[in-house]
Amino acid sequence: MKILVAVKQVAALDEDFEIRADEKDVDEDFLLYDLNEWDDFSLEEAMKIKEAGTTEVEVVVVSVGPDRVDESLRKCLAKGADRAIRVWDDSIEGSDAIAIGRILAAVAKKEAPDMIFAGVQSSDQAYASTGISTAAYLNWPHAAVVADLQYQAGNKSAVVRRELEGGLLQEVEINCPAVLTIQLGINKPRYASLRGIKQAAAKPIEEVTLSDIGLSGADVGAGNSMSHVRRMYIPAKGRAEMIEGTIAEQAAKLIQIMNEFKGV
Amino acid sequence: MDNSKEITRVLFENFQPQAIHLFYAIGYLAIAVFTYGVYVQIRKYRRGKPDGSWNELFHRFVDMVKTMATHRTLVRRDKSAGRAHGLIFLGFVLLFIGTSTITLEYDILEPLFGVKFWYGNFYLLFSLVLDLAGLGLIVGLIYMMYRRKWLHLPKLDYKRVDRQEGDPDFDRSQYRREDWAFLWSFILIGITGFILEATRLVWLNDRPEVWDYRMWSPVGALLAQIMQTFGMVSESAGAFRPYLWWFHGLLSLTFIACIPYTKIKHIFTAATSLMFKDPLAGRRLPKVPDDQKTAGYKTITDLTWKNLLHLDACTKCGRCQEACPANAVGAPLSPRDVILSLREFANHALSAKELPKEAELNIHGKDVGQVFMETLWSCRTCLACVEICPVAVEHVPIIVQMRRNLVEAGEMEPLLEKTLQTIHKTGNSFGESKRKRAAWAKELPFEIKDARKEPVDVLWFVGDYASFDPRNQKVTQSFAKLMHHAGVNFGLLFEAELNAGNDVRRVGEEGLYELLASSNIGTLQACDFASIVTTDPHSFNTIRNEYPDFGGKFEIEHYTTLVKRLIETGQVKLKKKLDYRVTFHDPCHLGRYNKGYDAPREVIKLLGCELVEMARNRDNSFCCGAGGGRIWIPDPVGIEKPSANRMKEAGQIEGLQVFVVSCPKDLTMFEDALKTSGFEGQFVVRELIELIDECIEYEVWEDTAVTA
Ligand code: SF4
Ligand code: SF4
Repeated sequence: MKILVAVKQVAALDEDFEIRADEKDVDEDFLLYDLNEWDDFSLEEAMKIKEAGTTEVEVVVVSVGPDRVDESLRKCLAKGADRAIRVWDDSIEGSDAIAIGRILAAVAKKEAPDMIFAGVQSSDQAYASTGISTAAYLNWPHAAVVADLQYQAGNKSAVVRRELEGGLLQEVEINCPAVLTIQLGINKPRYASLRGIKQAAAKPIEEVTLSDIGLSGADVGAGNSMSHVRRMYIPAKGRAEMIEGTIAEQAAKLIQIMNEFKGV
Repeated sequence: MDNSKEITRVLFENFQPQAIHLFYAIGYLAIAVFTYGVYVQIRKYRRGKPDGSWNELFHRFVDMVKTMATHRTLVRRDKSAGRAHGLIFLGFVLLFIGTSTITLEYDILEPLFGVKFWYGNFYLLFSLVLDLAGLGLIVGLIYMMYRRKWLHLPKLDYKRVDRQEGDPDFDRSQYRREDWAFLWSFILIGITGFILEATRLVWLNDRPEVWDYRMWSPVGALLAQIMQTFGMVSESAGAFRPYLWWFHGLLSLTFIACIPYTKIKHIFTAATSLMFKDPLAGRRLPKVPDDQKTAGYKTITDLTWKNLLHLDACTKCGRCQEACPANAVGAPLSPRDVILSLREFANHALSAKELPKEAELNIHGKDVGQVFMETLWSCRTCLACVEICPVAVEHVPIIVQMRRNLVEAGEMEPLLEKTLQTIHKTGNSFGESKRKRAAWAKELPFEIKDARKEPVDVLWFVGDYASFDPRNQKVTQSFAKLMHHAGVNFGLLFEAELNAGNDVRRVGEEGLYELLASSNIGTLQACDFASIVTTDPHSFNTIRNEYPDFGGKFEIEHYTTLVKRLIETGQVKLKKKLDYRVTFHDPCHLGRYNKGYDAPREVIKLLGCELVEMARNRDNSFCCGAGGGRIWIPDPVGIEKPSANRMKEAGQIEGLQVFVVSCPKDLTMFEDALKTSGFEGQFVVRELIELIDECIEYEVWEDTAVTA
């Protein structure tokens, strides 16, 4: 029995950040990296299944990203994951969520897990589609925004409760193997002590290349993604102005402002 | 006096040989029972982990003897109990030496070499000394009985704050019974000894070598007189004596046999505990060896033999509990109970021949003898308990070791967990960007040197609170101005400074501490400076006492000593004097931790202020409640905070104007408490730096500040 947990190292903005010269992203100097918050919960959910069952469960974390991602994977290992896989190739740079899903699906084909957990979304890009596209590439059933999971290692199906708008829950029975995207608050993630993380440094992280999973540069990267970042920017602050004068003056002023906005 | 051989006491006078043999047999039995008990105790200690306190044994021994002889630790904050104990102690020691002397002559020197010395003048002096010793013993014991029965001291109440009424170990009545059994048997031994002596005098009143010298045992003589008045004559005394003799003898032998099994063992355990005292206990926490798999104490066998010995040394005096700020505000923590719980646990688990299974050795949990996690998290590592314990029990290292285990298991307050993660991510507890660490310096009319780029005399390690907390930033700026004014060549580490780790370590997150400490040490070692100064006692403590264990040996001082020097040498000129009536709060990490009691007081006096002490001052200072990571754990609502308790104490000082602190966390805690405890408007809380600031005129800068 194996659970594959897809995790991501996300970026957070430091104080007074700057946008990169090509305007596509924030300058890396101003980014602080950490494990995506949702992934703490999906890993914990996998760990709970591992620790509850009598069947042997292997928890494998997988991430797509450069060297720095090892730090986050080590945190997962410290929390008890059995193995960690990191997929990287420079050609992956610029991939959108769908392309990442393709990579994860390729890893899953090789690993043949019984379940795949992913976070609902990542806190930096917020596509909320990596997990779902993985399911699509695998042609597996999926359930998104899972707030409760009833599943024991080895079961043929799982009962999940999905969080809907307005405080509604939807209970779904889903056949396994399946992809679940896990919502915050489903459990209480454990603390990874720094000693634990340090000791996890002894556990190896498997570095996987595209060819190892049967893909090539033609399957990934910005060029092979269906969406592209055109520009990242800080919107100008909204302005507010009190228009004074008679009704006619006010109307005239309003028309003038609207024209300025339209660039007439 | 008379040195004739007749003047002595004939041992076993009028005893049948069988009776003497019987007595010896019982004596040997008592010694056997005693020895076995000692063996079991030592076997228990040997089941603990090793400890490196075997160094400087001679020195340690001398220190221990001094402490015991002066009763220095026992008279502190409880003079009468200390003195009464002194009488009992002295009485016991003298009587013990006396009995040993008799044994030496009667059982060894005389039979082997025919040497006799216990007669004549020596005998008479011996009688007098032992008589007085016995009297002291009894007086001391009577006071102790009075104290237990009538003084109703809260510290002698064994009811527990961390257990509920009805829990099996709630009131610990067995301890009370043991205390009384101890007192009674001890005093009975003393009293029967005197009656025995008196009976002998009456019995032998026709022998001048006995009767004429009776005043050399004044208590016995007085009793003999009384007995005679009540009609006792030689014959009746002679008939009564054997019964009394056996009673006294058997009681004494039982007492000896009981030593290792009862509280009497503190005679040995307290002495050894004092001998193995670690002067840096709690100030420098133990490292976790690199090859150790799990951090901290999970099972009773994770404790070192020294810890186990400390557990047995505790005499339940309750001084630690009385001093404990957590206990004072009703938190479920009494340092004594932590020690006693673990002691009961150790006695139960480690005294048998075979060690129980691993699972039965877990000291965390809710069962009898286990320590609650709430208890451990209530501790503020203020060191008040370690400071006052008369027998050198070291509570804080044990508590932190147990916390390390909780941290590893993730059993802590969510907010604390969050803070630890924040510190890991950003290097400070405020979650601020590293770049903003020295933001306060931008508002100054002068530039502060970057110690990473140029050599300085003094490297200023600022610390988190002084760097990021808006209120404290004002103080930080004042201190910068002061140093600049005094012409001190100083610099900062800017964004390379990380949280010093003192509180992270006391929380029990050792891995994070190692990370912070080694990073700071690396940064510091790459700089060129003569010494470090800090306004933060927490950083001060860990850099001073703990960084050396990680290879970082630096000269460091707290700002109070530096400023005192600057004022005294005239580098800082005070342009005016203050006439405030102030009181001073000793920060734990400056005072108790590092004995920095005097410098701040002297500075206060140099400023012209009138210093009025609070009742709890210097080594008995009352923690503000922020220590040990508690600043990151919300205090429960509805119960008093230690800081509020302290405010009340200060509020009792008539006409108090300023409550002076010298620690950034104190400023935060007490300004809060001032508002919530209703003293706002009566007096203010100020950092000492702010008072100094009032006395300095910064003419030149004020100008530059305006033109800049
Ligand atoms: S260190 Fe302070 S808070 Fe902790 S147990 Fe000792 S006295 Fe109480
Ligand atoms: S630990 Fe020390 S201070 Fe506390 S009760 Fe025991 S002997 Fe007294």
